[in-house]
Amino acid sequence: MAYHLETQGRTIDLDVTTGPENTIVHIGTQSHTLAVERISDHEIMMTVNGQQIPAWISSGPGGKTIIVNGRHFQVLDRDATAPSGTSAPGAMPDQGAGALTPPMPAVVIGVPKAEGDWVEKGETVILLSAMKMEAYITAPYSGRITAIRAAEGDKVMPGDILADIEPEEAS
Amino acid sequence: MFKKILIANRGEIAVRVMKTCKEMGIKTVAVFSEADTRALHRLQADQAVCIGGADPSQSYLNVDKIIEAALSTGAQAIHPGYGFLSENHEFARTCQEKGLVFIGPPPQVIRDMGDKMTARQMMETADVPVIPGLSGEDLTLDDMARAAEEMGYPVMIKASAGGGGKGIRIVDRAADMPQAFEAARREAANAFGDNRVYLEKYFSTSRHIEFQVLADREGRTIHLLERECSIQRRHQKIIEETPSTAVGPDLRERMGRAACDAARAAGYVNAGTVEFLLDDQGNFYFLEMNTRLQVEHPITELTTGIDLVAWQIRIAAGQALTLDQAGIFARGHAIECRIYAEDPEQGFFPSPGTISFYHAPQGPGIRNDAGVYTGADVPVEYDPILSKLSVLAEDRDQAIDRMIQALNSYVVFGVRTPVDFMADVLDSEPFRAGDVFTDFIPRHFESWAADAGKEPTAAGRDGLPGDAVLACLAFIAHDLAGPADAGGQPRVARHQGPFHTLGSWTL
Repeated sequence: MAYHLETQGRTIDLDVTTGPENTIVHIGTQSHTLAVERISDHEIMMTVNGQQIPAWISSGPGGKTIIVNGRHFQVLDRDATAPSGTSAPGAMPDQGAGALTPPMPAVVIGVPKAEGDWVEKGETVILLSAMKMEAYITAPYSGRITAIRAAEGDKVMPGDILADIEPEEAS
Repeated sequence: MFKKILIANRGEIAVRVMKTCKEMGIKTVAVFSEADTRALHRLQADQAVCIGGADPSQSYLNVDKIIEAALSTGAQAIHPGYGFLSENHEFARTCQEKGLVFIGPPPQVIRDMGDKMTARQMMETADVPVIPGLSGEDLTLDDMARAAEEMGYPVMIKASAGGGGKGIRIVDRAADMPQAFEAARREAANAFGDNRVYLEKYFSTSRHIEFQVLADREGRTIHLLERECSIQRRHQKIIEETPSTAVGPDLRERMGRAACDAARAAGYVNAGTVEFLLDDQGNFYFLEMNTRLQVEHPITELTTGIDLVAWQIRIAAGQALTLDQAGIFARGHAIECRIYAEDPEQGFFPSPGTISFYHAPQGPGIRNDAGVYTGADVPVEYDPILSKLSVLAEDRDQAIDRMIQALNSYVVFGVRTPVDFMADVLDSEPFRAGDVFTDFIPRHFESWAADAGKEPTAAGRDGLPGDAVLACLAFIAHDLAGPADAGGQPRVARHQGPFHTLGSWTL
């Protein structure tokens, strides 16, 4: 059975073959044996290549939150995701081409960029304050800001589009 | 000694204060908002009073409601925790007027130390070193520019009524001064209703070192050593430790004495913290005094073995401070990480919601001050701190290892937490080397992404795949696993082969 899983922005293709003796998972040229015990609602014990590896798991609409070796991963099954739906659980809702929206009710406390400005991916476009903390909305990719729809002092809600960025053309 | 104390706060600090009250045989009264009906602090109190709507102004900042709750339940004293009304001198005064003991310093002291300029001037008078700067009423742009020229750029314009990292402008050169001055004054007026600003020399590579002090009503003042608080993100502390790698015995003694001088100059009573800036030449300067119990107080409690809340209560009840300076010493090394509900993949934006599962780390030398549990809500309206995770170990290296393991065992589902980020910070070369300065995060971790640069399919250790692949295996394994069994053999698969489906057959 084929799995196309996505985590940390990368797609990992796995092929699972189950036999009477064991389950084997193939990734490219690697193969690993896999067995599992259910420990509780949120914990499983895997046996990978003969070694026991516990994992904490929480299932959600967009995928699973998994903690293994103390590290957190959001893993989703690309085959289970609707074509135009959200990418990972907790990510900002699908924004359309280059729109930016706050993930929760907030107040705009800074607008360091202006319409017509060029931004690099990761640059701060809007500064927000929510739950007594400050946070930045950053450009999800490089491009030109075609619209800014927020001003200092505005109260904004999820779904409000605060800015539009036209992505740079791939050359 | 008080028979009943009302805790005018919520979350982990309310829970923590109530623990000491219970140990001392003191009854506890919790106040809670409509958003906190199932909050842990409400559940753990002997009595609880609902004081209003979710918005803090209607509840946790509502002086009248809180006083009313205290009087109607017969509480004799109020512990304000941190944040909310803890540094509100008018609240402290109102408590006094209503015959309630405010567990903290006198109202006038709160007021003096809350005004950064007044505090600065008091310290100058008491010969406590202050950052080279300029303060005074009606400072003009010219005054500031001239002083900045004298002390040398870069400088920092700060709001007098400010705090928590707000109302600050760094000025690198004279040309930027006029605009920065206007902007700072405007921001100060908007944020604090007070446009007074003052000037300080700015040190880009500095450490934030604070000293815990305790003082009783008769003026006996001691310090309980330092806390290193340099790991900050956007001027908010996220990791604290004690002792500081930059403070040797001699410097500790001098800074400790200065902290006590500062507390005495302010007329301080009860628990407080004197914050210093340590520059890269080994000079220290008074920054400000916090007239409340600090968030990071657990690391001091761990290394000194002293319960600060217990002393707060005793001092407020009029008892003498029987600890003497010579008897205060620290053993081992302690680190604290503040665990917030925030999403490291979304710029550490708050991540409110309901905690579907909570499992805190345990073990030798691990302390977790939590305000949440499985099923608890993390409301939008408040500071999203879930818990303060602290460790105590024999030395700094062990403390770092212990904290990393503790972070790795911290399980929260339902909200996001930055535990991976914190583990990476602690495991980083500069942190392990002790190079912690206030620009640590911007310098080393500005664009952190979990496992950035790691090839997901690269091999891990011991013949196992790397973590990303293990996570994928777990995803699949979780699909294969059935519901919780009472033990049993490892499952291989749910795949139903012909041997399962054929029923009875003979060969």
